[in-house]
Amino acid sequence: MSTISIQDTHHHGTHDDHGHGHHHETFLTKYVFSQDHKMIAKQFLITGIIMAVIAMGLSILFRLQLAWPNESFPILQTFLGKWAEGGRIRPDFYLALVTIHGTIMVFFVLTAGLSGTFSNLLIPLQVGARDMASPFLNMLSYWFFFTACVVMMSSFFIQTGPASAGWTVYPPLSAIAKAIPGSGLGMTLWLVSMVLFVASSLMGGINYVTTILNMRTKGMDLWKMPLTIWAFFLTAILGILSFPVLVAGVVLLIFDRSFGTSFYLSDIVMGTQILPNEGGSPILWQHLFWFLGHPEVYIVIMPAMGISSEIISVNSRKPIFGYHAMIYSLIGITVLSFIVWGHHMFVTGMNPLLGGVFMITTLIIAVPSAVKTFNWLATLWRGNIRFTPAMLFAIGMVSFFISGGLTGIWLGNAALDINLHDTYFVVAHFHLVMGSAAIFGMLAGVYHWFPKMFGRLMDKKLGYLHFWVTFTCAYLVFFPLHFLGLDGVPRRYYAFTEFEFMQKWVTVNVLVTWSAIIAALAQVAFLFNFFYSIFKGKVSPQNPWEANTLEWTAPIERLHGNWPGEIPTVYRWPYDYSKPGADEDFIPQTVPFSQTMSSNLPHDFEGNTIAEQVQREWDIANKPADKADLD
Amino acid sequence: MVQTLPQENKFEYKAKKFVVWLFVVSSTIMFGGWTSYYIVFAASKHKGHGLVLPQVFNYSTAVLILSSIALFLASRALRNGDRNRQRLFLWLTLLLGLVFGVLQVEAWGILKATGAFFVNNNAAISMIYVLSLFHLFHIFAGICLIINSLVGSYRAISVERATYRQEIAAIFWHFIDILWIYLYVFLLLNS
Repeated sequence: MSTISIQDTHHHGTHDDHGHGHHHETFLTKYVFSQDHKMIAKQFLITGIIMAVIAMGLSILFRLQLAWPNESFPILQTFLGKWAEGGRIRPDFYLALVTIHGTIMVFFVLTAGLSGTFSNLLIPLQVGARDMASPFLNMLSYWFFFTACVVMMSSFFIQTGPASAGWTVYPPLSAIAKAIPGSGLGMTLWLVSMVLFVASSLMGGINYVTTILNMRTKGMDLWKMPLTIWAFFLTAILGILSFPVLVAGVVLLIFDRSFGTSFYLSDIVMGTQILPNEGGSPILWQHLFWFLGHPEVYIVIMPAMGISSEIISVNSRKPIFGYHAMIYSLIGITVLSFIVWGHHMFVTGMNPLLGGVFMITTLIIAVPSAVKTFNWLATLWRGNIRFTPAMLFAIGMVSFFISGGLTGIWLGNAALDINLHDTYFVVAHFHLVMGSAAIFGMLAGVYHWFPKMFGRLMDKKLGYLHFWVTFTCAYLVFFPLHFLGLDGVPRRYYAFTEFEFMQKWVTVNVLVTWSAIIAALAQVAFLFNFFYSIFKGKVSPQNPWEANTLEWTAPIERLHGNWPGEIPTVYRWPYDYSKPGADEDFIPQTVPFSQTMSSNLPHDFEGNTIAEQVQREWDIANKPADKADLD
Repeated sequence: MVQTLPQENKFEYKAKKFVVWLFVVSSTIMFGGWTSYYIVFAASKHKGHGLVLPQVFNYSTAVLILSSIALFLASRALRNGDRNRQRLFLWLTLLLGLVFGVLQVEAWGILKATGAFFVNNNAAISMIYVLSLFHLFHIFAGICLIINSLVGSYRAISVERATYRQEIAAIFWHFIDILWIYLYVFLLLNS
């Protein structure tokens, strides 16, 4: 990394309080306590990948139990000790596994790993800023996240095991330490970890919004921003507006657990003992939790949407279809996501009228979602498609979003939900629409921006292998689960053999588990490709995908401050692909209209009459008369 | 590049001030979460905290408003280039802030003495403690910002930098002032 770039001098001159160390970067300031957004992005990504591998491992463990409930795997006892006595996962540990799998995937991988990586990497690079508004806060954001990960994982090393009340940690199960082993210290660690996580997310989100609103380069007005930036921007706003509510809820839960208050507790009898808590209501936790929880699923999916939009446009060599509609639909989703949380609570004894209201708001979300889906398909339509691994994953994201989104229409229905609530149908639905879709968006982003992060390319063939195996197996894992749910099989049940009507599904579980194992093995191809290519990959050219956005104008060797000298000025939107009359099939945002006279269109000038006049004169001089008339 | 420095500088302060505003927003939402809890709780149980709140809360509210006025005067002094006056009013704000903290703790003592404990089967009463405790955490953060500005007023730092420090302290302090008034009025109205 260049240590004598202009930005460094600038920093030194203006930050007398933390300008130290920029000139003589040590290992510690460069790789550990880095304040450079690109390094922080990599820290988030690699931590996210490690957490994803852990969460995937946990899922394989509980899938083993589901497929072969009567079989013994002695190796499990070797690793898990008393949690897998006799080689069988214990019921309470099974609950811990699903809880931590969900928590890690939703928060640590798909919130921090996804937003943390790509918002950090792309916001300054795509809007044309030297770094985040507050690089220090940005660094702090990563280290809070890292601490949250460590605290969460530490619960595997305590006597009573990790939290086991499900990723939504509903009281009273989560509030009473004696309820199950996992509600003891494990639950406390879970809550502490979440508080740290929320702090990290808020610091990140506040930074992203501030940077986007205040630090765009010259010419980069809001309507020239790539859809990635729009998605990260709205995601960050969602986080800022919803995560504090989770903190509010968690604080009350901590008081109930550790201080004896009754915010969520009332009328509880444990064995023969009547608990003193009275007057609280566990439903209130659900309200506070889902006020965050529902926006959270959009926090997970919107960055994936933004990334896919960008990648699909670049690799279709076509402008994104309906750029404005894409943005308005993101805004629509953002706004609507705050008034739908009740659809998680239809069966809590909610007033049916209120249920009806939540049902309507929920179903309205189908509109912006469909706008986005059709726009992606229309972008692909008759495009000059380049099937890079990133493109395949982006298309995969669209596929999962469609197939998972359709079942959302079932579940959003207050009447149908009575039947489907808490069954495998729900599991199938969200694993497709926000699990697989968001993961595919994230992987698409990794393949696409890997050259920007590491200056090298990932191997294409391994990428294709990774995609096809993962894509096929993800459907094989999640699609059959719909039918379990329709048959009324509840989620989080330990042994299907214990119930007459569930026994017939054990064979399906065997298929699902084998698919999950194969999908997990496919990730080895990705991990090898990722880590090998960091060091040994083919060196990337300046603009490997021939894309228009600003990050590809920054030099390949990464320097603090992103661009040597002045930050480039932006003249046009980021989607001028295959523009008729242009020499090449892409025109970067930094190319002024004066250099592309042959391809300019009247609406490019946004009502600038002088520029229109110049263009008209040029057209008359350079184009055959009849053609000029047609324009 | 060197010529553009002061401008980029101002730019950066503007952005950082925005960070404080966003924090204010998210903090408001957190308290909004609790007061929503309170409203839904009170509506479903047909009861609020049912207390006559200690008189001390009136005094602490007055003290907090005075501290805000003092901070406003400090900002004005800085705008007029009078660093001595700014320092004086910052000290006053700091002092009033500390008095506020003491009065809040005093109020908890009175609540406790009347039997309205934190650990209570009426969650609305527990909520009084939660709200005032977390507000007090904000006061602590606000005091840190005021000290930050105060330290700046003793050092030879640039006017922009001093203004920036003063401004973020002011944004935050006025916010927690208004926040407390909101919480107090809320608790008075929903007894």
